[in-house]
Amino acid sequence: MLRLININKKLGSFSLTNINIDIPDGEYYVLLGRSGSGKTQLLELIAGLNDPDSGEIWLKNENVTVTKIQQRNIGLVFQDYAIFPNMTVFGNIAYSLHSRKITKDEIIGKVARVAGEMNISHLLNRYTHNLSRGELQRVALARTLVTSPALLLLDEPMASIDASLKDDVKRILRQLNRRGLTIVHVTHDYREALSLSSRIGVIHNGRIIQEGPPDIVFSRPVNKFVARYAGIKNFFRVKFFSEKGLFRAKCDGNLVFTVADDDYPSEGLLILRGDGIKLHNSEPECRFDNCFKGIVREIIPSEQGMEIMVDAGELFYINVTVNDFKMLQIGESSEVWITFPPESGIVLPGSI
Amino acid sequence: MIKYNPFNWITLLLSSLILLFILAPLAGMFFETTGTEFLETITDREVQESIWLTLWISFAATFIFAIGSVPLAWLLARKNFPLKNVVQGIIDLPVVLPHTAAGIAILGFISRDGFLGKAADIVGLTLINNPAGIALAMAFVSIPFLINSARDGFAAVPERLEKAALTLGASRSRVFFTISLPLAWRSIMTGFIMMFARGMSEFGAVVIVAYHPMIAPVLIYERFSSFGIKYARPASVLFIIVALAVFILLRLISIRKKEIHVTPDAETY
Repeated sequence: MLRLININKKLGSFSLTNINIDIPDGEYYVLLGRSGSGKTQLLELIAGLNDPDSGEIWLKNENVTVTKIQQRNIGLVFQDYAIFPNMTVFGNIAYSLHSRKITKDEIIGKVARVAGEMNISHLLNRYTHNLSRGELQRVALARTLVTSPALLLLDEPMASIDASLKDDVKRILRQLNRRGLTIVHVTHDYREALSLSSRIGVIHNGRIIQEGPPDIVFSRPVNKFVARYAGIKNFFRVKFFSEKGLFRAKCDGNLVFTVADDDYPSEGLLILRGDGIKLHNSEPECRFDNCFKGIVREIIPSEQGMEIMVDAGELFYINVTVNDFKMLQIGESSEVWITFPPESGIVLPGSI
Repeated sequence: MIKYNPFNWITLLLSSLILLFILAPLAGMFFETTGTEFLETITDREVQESIWLTLWISFAATFIFAIGSVPLAWLLARKNFPLKNVVQGIIDLPVVLPHTAAGIAILGFISRDGFLGKAADIVGLTLINNPAGIALAMAFVSIPFLINSARDGFAAVPERLEKAALTLGASRSRVFFTISLPLAWRSIMTGFIMMFARGMSEFGAVVIVAYHPMIAPVLIYERFSSFGIKYARPASVLFIIVALAVFILLRLISIRKKEIHVTPDAETY
């Protein structure tokens, strides 16, 4: 188990503030944050490359806050892998083993085993400067895994590889985690977090602003920043009021939504997921409370299919699959209707 | 390829003049030395000993001072400490000092009244007019070339490689010898060659510390002042040829080391 207790670290004008994280053994924890949010710095503190100004780091029930980096048994894979260019792939993987009192045969055996697992046995005698990004990443993983770390730290492991290789890397990481390896993975990509993590911590300006299972974090974001991270684009500043027994939210642009319950402040931010809004090419039977007519302004291909921007007095971003898009038979300037159930709105209180 | 517009023509002309300025005196000296004069100089024992003395003292001075200079260069590249800029200024000081003034400073240091001179005297060594004194004078004026080049080399080694090695369980010293030093090797070698070459050609500081034994630049000056340019020229030509040959040889040795590709550090947080 990894425990970070009240970690603080000042780095020039930036600081990590009151970081508290508990990661049980075998968990896949993703630290999600923008560039410059402090996530790499936090990894370096855990690894022992820097010392915190205050707070404690516990690993396997042992306080390692001031333990030497060489004795922490934590593996760190850097963002661009930090492969030693003056060594062969074998030299890179065997590097940590030369610091230990083991025989040459044992070193060869360990390197061969981990290279086999990473499918890079054929590269062992090659220098690294003409290896592909994917191969370099496997070398970096093999080099770290050969030390049998108690904890694996990954700094943006998929930032520098092609989309086609990402699934392959994800498969390897899932396998490692399934075998019981605790992983802390730093990324700026919420899709990566969603597909790998058992728990997510969102870090912003050196603070953990939300933590929890990915489905909870992304369905109930605590603020606009996290919501944006979850790929949400529909934000409406609203004032709440009751009307004829229904609870309403009035936008700045005078559009009025119906919301699920009355446990709201007087004003706040209403968030709608793009895939929670339904798009129609003809007027639907408006048994829905939230049914608005609009014009398609833009159609943008996206990873999930299409993102349709509709102007219905407010701008709505709606995600549809390619099949649904074909069936809708709409184009830019088409007249459409959008509907969404009252309970699909996420409300953030205050004037955020 | 250079495109021929007026600006490029002017640049080309000025560049050619500068190259001519460097090459013309050397070419003149070579062409004015007859084969007979040159052969006599090659077989002149005094000239041979002087050139050999110059080469080995300069090499020894560079090698010995590299042992301290390389770690200093690493410190300057990697660590921040109070008065770092002052330290950097001190290192560059010998470059701006008049070399005769540097010679006077070294002389004060190694004479029997000086700190080092007294220490050497205890073990029965006189540094003045001694190869050791010459080595100190050569090192004093040439050491910035090695330190600055090695410092730039260490600074160019991505810090994340050293960090990666630390996380793999390597000690600080192992990281230095297996990562930092090999990756900065080319710059260190360049600095080594520059310090060696600069030390070899030193006259002003050496002549004050040791007229004898005579290193090649002092011998050339002595022949010029005693017998005139005609006698100094063949020794100069021979010394230049030998110095160039050694310089090229060392360059080739350093270039033969495998080219290592490193990418600069990524953002740190």
